[in-house]
This record gives sequence, C-alpha cells and structure tokens, in this order.
Amino acid sequence: MLLVDIILPGLVLGGMYALIALGLTLQYGVARIMNLSYGESLVAAAFGALSLYSGLGLSPLVALLLAVPVAMMLNWLLYRFLLERLMRRGKDRGAQEIDSILVTFGVLFVIQGAMLVAFGGQYYSYSYLSIPLTILGSTLAVNRLVALLFAALVGGAVYLALTRTRIGTAVRAIAVDATAARLVGIDVAALSGLAFAFGGGLVAVGGVLVSMFLTFNAAMGVVFTMKALVVVIMGGVGNVMGALVAGLLLGVVETAVARLVDPGLTLAATYALFLGVLLIKPTGLFGRAAS
Amino acid sequence: MTMLVRTSLWCAGLALAVAIVAYPLYANGYYLALGISVLYFTILATAWAMFSGPTRYISLATVAFFGLGAYTAAVLGETTPWPVVLLAAAGVGAVTAAITGLSTLRLSGIYFVIFSFGLAELIRQLVIWYEVNIHKSVGRYLFSAVTQDILYWQLLGLTALVFLVGWLLGRSRYGLALRAIGADETAASHSGIDATRVKLGVFILSATFMAMTGAVMAPRWTYIDPAIAFNPTISFQVVIMALLGGAGSLFGPVLGVIPLVLLFEVLTATLPNHFSIVLGIIFVLIVMVLPNGVIGLFGAGRRHVPAGAPAAAFARTMDDAPLLAVEGVSKSFSGLRAVDGVSFTVAPGEIIGIIGPNGSGKTTLLNTLSGALRPSSGTIRFGGTVLTGLRAHQIARLGLARTFQLVRVMPDLTVAENVATARLFSAPASSSGSDTTGRELLDLVGLGAMHDAPARELTYIDQKRLELARALALRPHLMLLDEWLAGLNPSELETGIALIAKLRERGLTIIMVEHVMDAIRALCGHCIVMNAGSVIARGAPDEVLSDPKVVAAYLGGDDA
Repeated sequence: MLLVDIILPGLVLGGMYALIALGLTLQYGVARIMNLSYGESLVAAAFGALSLYSGLGLSPLVALLLAVPVAMMLNWLLYRFLLERLMRRGKDRGAQEIDSILVTFGVLFVIQGAMLVAFGGQYYSYSYLSIPLTILGSTLAVNRLVALLFAALVGGAVYLALTRTRIGTAVRAIAVDATAARLVGIDVAALSGLAFAFGGGLVAVGGVLVSMFLTFNAAMGVVFTMKALVVVIMGGVGNVMGALVAGLLLGVVETAVARLVDPGLTLAATYALFLGVLLIKPTGLFGRAAS
Repeated sequence: MTMLVRTSLWCAGLALAVAIVAYPLYANGYYLALGISVLYFTILATAWAMFSGPTRYISLATVAFFGLGAYTAAVLGETTPWPVVLLAAAGVGAVTAAITGLSTLRLSGIYFVIFSFGLAELIRQLVIWYEVNIHKSVGRYLFSAVTQDILYWQLLGLTALVFLVGWLLGRSRYGLALRAIGADETAASHSGIDATRVKLGVFILSATFMAMTGAVMAPRWTYIDPAIAFNPTISFQVVIMALLGGAGSLFGPVLGVIPLVLLFEVLTATLPNHFSIVLGIIFVLIVMVLPNGVIGLFGAGRRHVPAGAPAAAFARTMDDAPLLAVEGVSKSFSGLRAVDGVSFTVAPGEIIGIIGPNGSGKTTLLNTLSGALRPSSGTIRFGGTVLTGLRAHQIARLGLARTFQLVRVMPDLTVAENVATARLFSAPASSSGSDTTGRELLDLVGLGAMHDAPARELTYIDQKRLELARALALRPHLMLLDEWLAGLNPSELETGIALIAKLRERGLTIIMVEHVMDAIRALCGHCIVMNAGSVIARGAPDEVLSDPKVVAAYLGGDDA
C-alpha cells in the first residue's frame, strides 16, 4: 500500500499548502503586493491560537472568529499607511513590486522580532483533535483532515466570491489591469486595500489551522512564505483554483520524495518542481499566456 | 588657488589611504573587528549593486555565494595553499552562479527575486544533506594561522579590486548595456545586446566576489556549520546597506555600509533582544523615505558614455539579389494562425508597405522578422543568412533594425545613451564611407538639441524620433517601421514622410507597416495587403488600393 501511503498524506499536506497559499493569491494576485512578511503573519496567527487555547481554553476553531477580523484590520492598516503610498509612487508594475517586496521585508523583521521578544526562540505545539484515524490502511490525524476540509471550503468560497459577485469581478479586473479598471470606474485603491485585508484574514485562517497539528517557532515564517510563493506562482498568479491544485501537487511530490528518496531532499524537490514549471510554463500551470 | 585646493585634496586623500591601510597597526581588537565588518559588507554590498543596481533584479541570494566561499575555505583550508583556496572559492561561486543564473535569469524580475530568496535555503539544505550523509558530521573545525591583521589586509585588497572592477565595468560597454537592459530589456535586445549573456556575465562576476569574501572571512570563525555560513540575515543586511547608500552608483553602497555597520554594532550591544525589530523599522523607513539612497540626495553623478566604434554610413551597398526573402512564414498562437503562409521578397533600396486592417497579422509578421517571435514554419533569408531560429540580438547585429508600434525608449537613459546602446555590440563598419556619429543621427531625426536629456522627458513624437535614431545607429541594411507615422499631426506627418524619403536616398531598405495611406502612396513602390494572416493582394499602392478584395477587407464586403 505504498501508493496510498504517499497519496493520502500527500493530499493532506497539499491541502495545508493550498490553505496557506490562499491569502497570498489575493495579496499578490490582486493587490499586487508581494508580501514577504506573509509567513510571519501566519506564525503570528498560530501563536495567537496557541495563547487563546492554553490561556483561555478556547478551541482553535472558535479562535478563528477572533483572529480573522483582527488580522484583516491589521493588514488593512498596513496597506493604507505603507503600501498604498508605494503603489502611487511606483512608475510601473515592476517598480511597485520591488518596492512592496522591500517594505514587507522590513515588516518581516518587525513581526519576527516582536514574536522573539514575546515567545523566545523555542518550539511550541499543543494538542487538539490529534485523534488517529485509519483510512485505507493509512493512519491520519483528525486535525489534519479538519484543516484539509477547511482549505476546500474556504478555497471554494473565495472562488465563488471572485467569480460570482460584483465586487469579486471588480477585484479580478484589477488583477488583470489596474489602469483599465480605473478607467471603467472601479475604485482601485479601496478594493486593493480590501483584497489585501481579505488576504490577511485568510493568512490568519491558515495560521490558526496549522497550529493545531504543526510544531512552530518564531523564526520559521520564511518556510511558510516560500511554500506559499511556490504554490501561488505554480498555480498562476491570482488564480484560486490553480493555487489549490498546485498545493495538492506539491504535497504529493514532497511526500513521495520523502518516502522514496530522502527526507532531507524535500526542499530541493520543491525548488526543482517550481523551476521546472517556471521554465516550461512561466505563467503557472493555469496561467494566461504571456503578453 | 585651484592648484592649492587640488594639492590639499590629494594630500587628504593620500592621508586617508595611509590611515586605512595602516589601520590594524593602531586599532585594537574591538575596533579592528569593526573595521573588518565595514570592509566585508562593503565588498558584498558593492558586488550586489554591481548586478542588482542597473538591472533592478533584486537578489536575496548574497549569502548563498558567501556561504559557499566560506565552506570551500573550511573544506580545503588546512590542506591547500591559501591562494589556491581563494581561487577555488571564486571558482565554486562562479560555477554556481552560472548554473543558477542560466536557469533563472531568463525569468522576469519577480520570479528571480523569489528564486534567489530560496536559493540560499536550498544550497544550505544540500550542504547539510552532504555533510550528514557523506562527511558524517555537520560542523567543521578550521584552524589557520591567519591573524585579524592579515584578514583585514586581505579584505582591503579585495575591496580595492571590487571597486576597480566596478569602475572598469561602468566605463565598458557592458556597463551601459546592463543599464539598457534594466530600462527596457526588449528594446535592448533589438539594439543588438545579448541580454541573457550580459546579465549572466555580471551575475557571475558579482557572485565571484561574494564567494571570495566568504573564503577570506572563514578563518574568523574556528568552527563552521551551515547555520553560521548561510545565515540569511547577511543577505538582508547587504540589501538594506546598498539601498540606503544608493545601488545605482559604484560608491553609493559604501555610504550605506558605514552608518549601518556602526548602528548594528550599537544595537547588538544595547538592545540585543529588539535587534530585528529595529532592523525592520529602519528597512521600512529607508524604502519609504530614501528610494534612491543617500547618494540620490546629491543628484546622480555624470556617467561616462562609451564611444561607439568609428561608424561608416549606416547602409552598406549590396548587390541586386533580394535583401530579404520570406518564404511561407506562418505563426500560430495555440490554434489561431496570426500569420498564414506569407511569402515576399524585398530588393535592396526599395520601400515596401505592409497594409491591412487591424488584427490582420502585420505586427506579428514583423515580430517574426526581427526575432521577437519564432515563426511556426517557413524560412526567412536576409542577405545570405537564414534568420529563422536566430534570437533578436543576433538579427539586430546582422543589420536588421526595427521600431515598435508602442514606442520603446529606455526612459532612465539620456537621449545620447539610448543611441549609444545600439552601437555597443553591432559589427564594426568598414572604414570607408561617410561617418555618422550618434550626434549626426540625432541631428538627422531632429533631436540634436536634446542630446543630454533623459529619454523619459521627451514628448511622444520625440520618443518616436529617438527610437528611429537608435535603430539607425545599428547601421542597418533593412529597417522595419511599425506604424512609425501613427499619431502624428499633419505637419509632423509631412516631416516624417520627408525623413523616410531621405533615408531611402541614403540607400536604406525599408519595410513599413502603416495605416496612413498618403504615406504609403508617397513612399512605397510596392505594397503587400494582409487580411486574417494571409496576403490578399500585392502590387503598386494605387493598384492594390482599388482592388475590390482590399476594399472589402477594410470596409467589409458583401460576404462579410
């Protein structure tokens, strides 16, 4: 049953990757912010869930109700007071992207430093719904399945919101061409801020869910940022369904390399897959043709 | 008076140089360590800006090369003579940069940032994997006789070398080529610059310096493991320092290195726990407040424009054989045949017009000729050479120049520099014939007075003129004009038509895609009409324009 042993845990891992990448799809794909502090925000949400669980005994699923609005508010403030200025200053999309990378790079250190002061460098974890469940002879933890389910639900909801609502359509228009969107009367600054804030909310969802089953520390945000970036770019920038599929694919490939080759080489496999996709299809698996 | 000022400046400079070289003789351990930090960050930041400044490819991979250098020194240091160790480190850095550069520099900017962001981590993982599985131990001890003084002097030598190389690079044609690529990579390729090779070359050069710095610094730690050698904070610090000082010039980065090294020193001593918070806030402030760095406050320094090779007239004489022969060229975009089996020839000295409704494939056809697109089938012969499969810069160097429908100048470069880019790598002209310098070309198109203006400040029509002058600077045999007359007012149109006629008198062969029928009638002896990717008529302008098929294509016929 080696195949099942690879595919099932691979899909569960991949569901987590898709989940942590969803927010970045909105932040980068729509708001045009390549947010390098993404992983730190995610870890911060995980610490938030941990504090609520160990301090107040609040279930992580309840903590979501608190974490998501707070994260949306903070991200909106970040956009409004730092990033929007850069968007206005940048001469072209390239300049805007570079500036946003650099500023969020600084933000990365601020969040990471604050977490180091508050929690130190050691690893944390807590036990919630870690009940083993055997499916087709392969053992999985319930909390991971819950996370996978949430990834599917949230991803589906975001997809529907983007394709079936007026605001979602306006948001997609900005992703394609911000200047043209402005010309047809879309308030680009306000909606970009909204998309960025919404992306921040999704980061919080990812962080809280991941905290149920992963061991984490203040310094590991970069790992999440990299995984999310790889998934978003493989899936095609701004493409929610692409991110879901790319996340699942990455999970299966990593599990396969860890099981069949060497666990030490999973990161190398991630990059090989990433580069391969970029070189063969630079706009991602489901991206539009290059203009 | 000026003599006196100059002499005293020289004396002050000399005194400073002596003070820097003799520093270890009077500085104690703590200050010597500080001097070492300043020097090694100066090398890293200068090497970083050498590549990332002009191209704006923000690399977060500094520590990947630095760490490889340090590891090379750790592995070879005890058994091999030191100069060999340094060379080996340089080689490892260069080879790694070549491999990663070859695969990633083809990617557009943002993907490069992301990949470089992960490259250090990837290399660190591979080194850990190697050390655990092959070497059977994660850390290595390095005992060497290198004292702090010697380490300082080695770094000083490397600093001098990186400034010398950076200065030479800035003066060479590769310096301008790199800035042209940073400003507009497509326009640079069509001016004969091999963008991939230039970027790769400078990327390798920059990585080599980073790797050598790592090797020189290795003896400072007696114990090395991947977490020390590949500490990602180093990449981050280098980027902030270069940006604070100003990455656009050679001496900009060092202006950022000195204050930040001192600041980090104070921070680690006084606020060790809040170090990264303060680091982050400083970083955000620098990007928000000083986008061009400290050196930007003083205004950009004057740049050296390399003189082009002595130029002959831009058109060389050819025999009567067709200059261009297009045979059955097609181009499909996933099922859509934008150009469908087009054939025609162009004799030397003639002006051919390509007309047709919007979307009929005219620009796509030009793109296959200039190498911007590769035709799906068919062959293109230019002189005796088959162009099919050649890349844009190779075609430009053969003497096939173009302008773009949506004008492409390099906005950050001056007018003169824009023209100079096309002379950097084009084949030197024969010594005979009348000379056209860049200035004469600018006079010819009517931009003589704008020589030193940044191209971004030109009006639309002047940008079109500049683009034409840049294309002429390639000394082309054949010029492709893609709606060069579009958007001109009636008097500008008249001047434009007269200019094209003048180019023909000078012996230039021209293919022009145009919607201005007056210009087609005035200039073209021969016309090709395209519709839906195919040629539907050819002949003299008046003949084809009265052809019912052509009228139907433009206005919609009975069958439409």
